[in-house]
Amino acid sequence: MDDTARRLLQRLVRRIPSQLLKPTLEKWGRLKRTQLDSLDFSQSKYSLTEKLLSVCEENGSSIKHITELELLYVIDNPVAGKWHAYQFIDPEDDAHTVELMQFKEQFKSHLTELVQNVSIKMKKHTDEAVWIRLAWGQSFSRPNHFKPTYVVYHLQSPYVFMTSMNSKHRPLLSQALVLATRHQAVKNANLSGKLNAIRDLVMRQYEHVFPTKFPSNISENNENTKNPNIKQEQEEQSSNRLQMACEAFGGGKLPEIQSAVYNLETKFRGHAKNMEERGGPFKCVVTFSGTNILESLRSCASSGIASTPVTPVLSSIPRKGRNYFLMTDNNPGSSQTQQQQK
Amino acid sequence: MEGASSKGALNHLTFLEAQARSRKTGASQQKSGASQLKAKVEELKKQRDLLKAQIAVHQSLQKLRTSLDKNEDADVDETSENSKLLMLMVKHSQLKDVLLAHHLLGGYDVVKTNEDNSLCFSLPTAYQGTMLDTYHVEIDVKRTVRISRHNIPPFIDVESLAKETNMQENIRGFLDTLSLHLNAFSSRKHQLKLVKDLHKSVEVLESNALCSLLVLLLTIPKEKTALLCSLDYSDHTRSLPTRVSIKGEEKDLSDSPEWQKNIALLQETPVHEALTAMRETRHII
Repeated sequence: MDDTARRLLQRLVRRIPSQLLKPTLEKWGRLKRTQLDSLDFSQSKYSLTEKLLSVCEENGSSIKHITELELLYVIDNPVAGKWHAYQFIDPEDDAHTVELMQFKEQFKSHLTELVQNVSIKMKKHTDEAVWIRLAWGQSFSRPNHFKPTYVVYHLQSPYVFMTSMNSKHRPLLSQALVLATRHQAVKNANLSGKLNAIRDLVMRQYEHVFPTKFPSNISENNENTKNPNIKQEQEEQSSNRLQMACEAFGGGKLPEIQSAVYNLETKFRGHAKNMEERGGPFKCVVTFSGTNILESLRSCASSGIASTPVTPVLSSIPRKGRNYFLMTDNNPGSSQTQQQQK
Repeated sequence: MEGASSKGALNHLTFLEAQARSRKTGASQQKSGASQLKAKVEELKKQRDLLKAQIAVHQSLQKLRTSLDKNEDADVDETSENSKLLMLMVKHSQLKDVLLAHHLLGGYDVVKTNEDNSLCFSLPTAYQGTMLDTYHVEIDVKRTVRISRHNIPPFIDVESLAKETNMQENIRGFLDTLSLHLNAFSSRKHQLKLVKDLHKSVEVLESNALCSLLVLLLTIPKEKTALLCSLDYSDHTRSLPTRVSIKGEEKDLSDSPEWQKNIALLQETPVHEALTAMRETRHII
């Protein structure tokens, strides 16, 4: 087992929390039962690492197997850092019939044509997503396994999610993906954050609320409804506000989007000294951040802090599925949101 | 000189004579004109009365119709015959409007939203008697007909369906096609779920989000060998596969006669039922 593999394994054992180590190793399936049993998971990480290293040396595990283990761990616990969403546009006629083996082969062949020395590992997860782990290498150096890029793609859907990578490699990866999925181009969807959150937002996997003839009972103040002696003043208005807030953002549990950035390049229209002299656009960045901004925006709207009907500036986060906006003036007296093309 | 002055006088006389004559006839003309005008006045009066009566009827119809639309009791303040006739006319017009609306919408549940600027349609899906997901589409109708929001997953391309079925002029066609796609998708998803729940011995090797591709691993009881069964649902509006192929470990069994029946079964009945039948005839475990 060479040096890189050993170092990777050490880093991996340090990264994986102790309680998840055993199930991940079991899922990996490359250790014999006796070897797995011989590992004592209550030991300190350091001694565990040593033991695991010696076991893998016995089995002759190579870097390929270690990367497999890492991919398995990441699938179950997506990297908490930033994932970015990209959208494919202009599908070719046979984009809908691309099946797994074809996609895998095409992607591998295209990417290896474009980039020398890249290590690709693909795995199909049970929820129909294809996970790809890429380690980039220069023309004469071996792939760097310590800074891999992960790509998640659901077949036949127009979205693909990637972690950060070198800006040199991004256009090559995009090209390989576009060719393998039979589309004509891919564009930045201006959405980033935790994988599960952005995936649920874009695939519409949360509860939408629409106006219907038979309104469901969204009861707000549960404590008050239990006590018949307490009656809410303005009950109708507050249930209206709640309905509109839920229509704009969704009902139930919302995807955990953690930041929204509005990049303003509009003219300053207030009355302040020194500002009127500047003719050009006033550049300003507004950032909302929190543990779950969609929930907080929804409760702002339902409690009346934000006016209802919810302004499209805020409701475009779930509706358009993005959290980066560039707002410019197209004609005086109006401002529109535009997409930022990278 | 005398001739000129006499001519002048004679001329003047003839002129005066002609004037007197015309005044006489003018008076009689005026008399006939007056009678004509009187007749015209009568006619116009009759027309005005008719129009007034029509307006009165129309107004009372409107009143009755608005009270009927609001489901209030119509206040009847005319003679009984007239009122019955009016009620009938009102109900007739209401029915005609409802029929037209139904024809336009195709029987989908619609709710007016956004201060009457858009319509929200609900599209329920169901399969074999089980109600599955309900999808909603909100369409803006004020200036141009365009979709404002929906909760349909992105692998069903709603915008391209709208273009293909010419949603601008034919909302009903668009909704029908969309409903077909959604029902087929929900039924395929449901079939996949049933296969996973009911047939634990069958392994699902591959499926995709649109449920248009399914690869199953079946086992033959006697030899315990594995068979790869792939179902291709390339027609997204159907819940049955368009192509079925069964491959053994070495050879393609699609042509062998014993499996022809099973292939036909898989093409004509839903997957979970076909698998149950195959299990009962002991073709698979």
